[in-house]
Amino acid sequence: MSPFFDWPLQASGDGTEERRRERFERMKTKDYIIIAARVALAAVFIYAALQKIGKPLAFADEIRMYHILDIGTPLYIMAIVLPWVELITGLCLLAGFFIRGSCLLLVALNTIFIIAVALRTHGIMADEGIPFFKVYFDCGCGFGATFAWRKLAEDSLFLALSLAILLAPTHSFVLNPWRD
Amino acid sequence: MLNFKRIFIEAVIIVSVASVVAFTYNAFSANGIDPFKKVDDVPTVPSEKADDSHANGIVFIDIGKAKEFFNEGKPIIDARTAEAYREGHIPGAYLLDYYEMGRYMNKVLMHLSMDEDIMLYCSGYTCDDSELLARELYTMGFTKLYVYKGGFDEWEESGMPVEGGDGKAGGE
Repeated sequence: MSPFFDWPLQASGDGTEERRRERFERMKTKDYIIIAARVALAAVFIYAALQKIGKPLAFADEIRMYHILDIGTPLYIMAIVLPWVELITGLCLLAGFFIRGSCLLLVALNTIFIIAVALRTHGIMADEGIPFFKVYFDCGCGFGATFAWRKLAEDSLFLALSLAILLAPTHSFVLNPWRD
Repeated sequence: MLNFKRIFIEAVIIVSVASVVAFTYNAFSANGIDPFKKVDDVPTVPSEKADDSHANGIVFIDIGKAKEFFNEGKPIIDARTAEAYREGHIPGAYLLDYYEMGRYMNKVLMHLSMDEDIMLYCSGYTCDDSELLARELYTMGFTKLYVYKGGFDEWEESGMPVEGGDGKAGGE
């Protein structure tokens, strides 16, 4: 049996409190690391989303700076939808709902972000003739302007955390909608 | 063993829910946009081909033509942010931040007529917010739009009058 609410120590009235208490007591350091990673990723993506929600034109303009999409329907749809994907993904990670699906999306998003930032950094280096460590721009991520190397390092860290959560054998504090 | 089919389904559900919420929010937001609007179909006329009779579309003008606009008291729109506007703008210009159109549009439009010449500017040659705003206005029915590409930077450097403060920030 796999109850929908699978948070340790949660009283459900179905006789599984003891099993949950045992699980909580058996939680190891790696479980806490995974939970910390979930909270950290959730905080980052929820904050980033809130900076962009309600400002689709400004976000579209920032996306356009990457020269991947020009003005048009695909650009506007991305500017409208992407912040909400980030927000809902962050909320899912916090709640423990669809954790692996959320992390699959974060792996995909962070991979795309890394490629896009790297291409734009390369373009700025070529256009302005400045070295890699001096490339500085607003990536449109919701955190303002920063050095490209720092943004690439951050996105790589987020990618690693997303992969770690995605591939973790078990998760604690989950809401499991799959009845199996 | 991870069930990748299930993980993929979860991801699809999240994107689907996010899309529904996003488009619903966008429909009711003051800054919501029409993603299917064809603003790239707007005709543009380069400065050297613009004449006084004015072709239909967006005309790019230089500082000489911008000075004429200013001296004749024709309506001018500042497409930059409220912060940049307060630091300094062309005297008499209306604030209509391109990125917060929903906030300013109605206040500004009540002072404009669709058949009059309107000049728009942003910070300078590297910005295109004034052109993007002009495209939006064109789709709304304004057809005599002039974009001053040199923008506020060139205007200020040329020693032309500059005004600080709120000015017509509220569309007054």
